[in-house]
Amino acid sequence: MLASRFLLGCWLALAVLSLATVGLAQGAVSSGAILLLAVLKAWLITDGFMELRHGPWRWRVLLLAWAGVLALVVGISLNLRG
Amino acid sequence: MSTSLETVATRRLPGDLAMWLFILAELSVFALLILAFAVTQALKPQLFAASRQLLDTSTGLAMTLSLLSAGLLAALAQQRVRQARPGQAALLLLLALLVACGYLGLKLGEYRHLLSLGLGLEHNTFFTLYWILTGFHFLHVLLGMLILVWLAEGCRRRRYGPGNCSGFESGVLYWHMVDLVWVVLFPLVYLLG
Repeated sequence: MLASRFLLGCWLALAVLSLATVGLAQGAVSSGAILLLAVLKAWLITDGFMELRHGPWRWRVLLLAWAGVLALVVGISLNLRG
Repeated sequence: MSTSLETVATRRLPGDLAMWLFILAELSVFALLILAFAVTQALKPQLFAASRQLLDTSTGLAMTLSLLSAGLLAALAQQRVRQARPGQAALLLLLALLVACGYLGLKLGEYRHLLSLGLGLEHNTFFTLYWILTGFHFLHVLLGMLILVWLAEGCRRRRYGPGNCSGFESGVLYWHMVDLVWVVLFPLVYLLG
C-alpha cells in the first residue's frame, strides 16, 4: 500500500513537472530551467519507478549521471550559439 | 553486523544484470542522437526555431503523460506480482498497454500530419534529426508494448510470483528506460528554442 502510494506520488510529481516544463517554455524561460526539470523527472523515474533508490549506488549514480551530464552538455551547446 | 547484512540485502538491483547492461547500451545510443540534435541546433538556431513551430507542443505533452502513466501502471503491476496477485498485475499491464496506445495514436497522427505537409526525412536538417530521433524512440515504445503483452500473458499463466519476478522486473525496466529517454527528448525536440 505504501509502495503504491509512493509510486502514485512519483507519477503526480512527473505530471506536474511536465506541465511546468511546457509552461516555462511558453514563458520564454532559459533553457537551463527546462533542462533542470528534465533532470528532476529523470531522477523520479530512476529512483522511483526503476527503484534504484534501493539499488547499488554505482548503478544509481550511473543512471542519474546519464540525464545530468546529457542535460549539462545539451545546455552548454545550446548556449554556445550566441 | 545485522545492520550491514540488511543494507546488503536491501541494496538489490531489480531485474537481471543483462537488462541493465542492455539499458546502458541503449542510453548511450540515445545520448549520441540527442547530442547530435543539440549540436546541430546550436549551429542552425533559426532553422530549428522555425521548424519547431510546426510541431504541436500540447501533443508532445499528451504523449509525455501517456508514457509516464503507462510507466506508473507497469510499476504498480510489479508491486502486485511481488504480493502474489498476478491477476491484478495482468489487468494493470493491460491498462498500461491501453494508455500506451494513446501515445501510439498521437505519434502516428503527428507523423501523418507532418508527412501531409511534406515535412519528411529529407525536408531539412531539423526534420532529418526529428524523424531519426523520435522514430528510433517510437520503435522502442513498440518493443516495450510487446514486452508488456508478454508480461501480461506471463501473469495470466502465473509464471511470475514473489520468488520469481526477476524476468518481470527486467521487462518493466525496459519500459521505464523508454520513459527516461522521452523526458529528455521531449523538451529538446518540442520546447528548447
